Amino acid sequence: MEEKILEVLEEYCEEALSYTGDNMMEEGVIDSFTVINIVSELEDVFDIEIDAKYVVAENFRNKEAIIELVRQLVEE
Amino acid sequence: MNTDFGRVVVIGYGKATGEILKYTDDRQADYGYELEFIEHEPHVLGVTRQICEERGIPFASMPDKRELAGYLGEIQEKTLIVSASNNFLFPAAVVERENITIINFHNALLPEYPGRNAPSWVIYQGEARTGITWHYVTAGVDEGNIIIQKSCEIGSDTKAYELTETLMDLAYEGFCECFDSVLQENAEAKPQGFSPERRMYRSSEIPGGGVLHPEEPTENAYRLLRSVDYGKSGIFPPVQMEIDGKRAEILRYRKIAPEKKKEGTDMRYLPFADGELLKIKYRML
Repeated sequence: MEEKILEVLEEYCEEALSYTGDNMMEEGVIDSFTVINIVSELEDVFDIEIDAKYVVAENFRNKEAIIELVRQLVEE
Repeated sequence: MNTDFGRVVVIGYGKATGEILKYTDDRQADYGYELEFIEHEPHVLGVTRQICEERGIPFASMPDKRELAGYLGEIQEKTLIVSASNNFLFPAAVVERENITIINFHNALLPEYPGRNAPSWVIYQGEARTGITWHYVTAGVDEGNIIIQKSCEIGSDTKAYELTETLMDLAYEGFCECFDSVLQENAEAKPQGFSPERRMYRSSEIPGGGVLHPEEPTENAYRLLRSVDYGKSGIFPPVQMEIDGKRAEILRYRKIAPEKKKEGTDMRYLPFADGELLKIKYRML
């Protein structure tokens, strides 16, 4: 699963793969439009619904947070 | 560089607003105006507060319309208000004050598509091009004289949020081009020249009424879905369609090649004229 998520990130925001900080939004690595693309792609790849309540900066602070979010939603 | 404006107030949210805020901050040293930012509509992924904190720009959150109108109405010095991605309608009491000049970015080529959600309507109507307009604000909505316009193409697969991003980039580009002339009060603003058919789009209106008709050409369905697609922002409710006599809401969609078709639950495929398929994932209501 992690590999697939990283593939999505690579497609829409390669910089996120090498980012080691804790707030990609604030640091300008990722913007709200890229988040929309990533969410849309993750939903399609994993056949999950990512509700709007999960689309917040906290869940997109780095690649680990995104992986954790998807893991939770897939396991639900 | 000289200007009589002693104060610049930026109001808005989103990507263009952040870039404009940084630009006006960078240009402060050239003109000596005081700069401040007002957040009227907070955005869950917004970064304007951070920009203000990092740069020491005064920041105020005023979600209440009356409070905002009252605040602006009490400004005494000559002030330029930059309305960037902002849905607050400036009341006449503010607009008509002699010491206040307001410029607004509209996300369409005025006088076409005035009002709300213009990127949605241009996609839904099948327009090949759209753009942005910076204009002076008058008491009427999106009626003021045009300062600058920038245009772009609308791709056949472009979604509303993608077009919005392009328009925000154009808005920033246009702002940088006209900022000096606005501050120096020598911008060549042109009247819009309204046609009798001019139609104002309201926030309550949804393209296609928000209902997809599978019996229509798939190109129409795809245009509808793209036109209301702002990701999870909730600007529009999910598009609905009828399945076996019952209502369903569309969760997501994608244009795919026929060989990528996979059967699944709550999934429907509609054929495009060119052989590709529109994959629709839905949920029964």
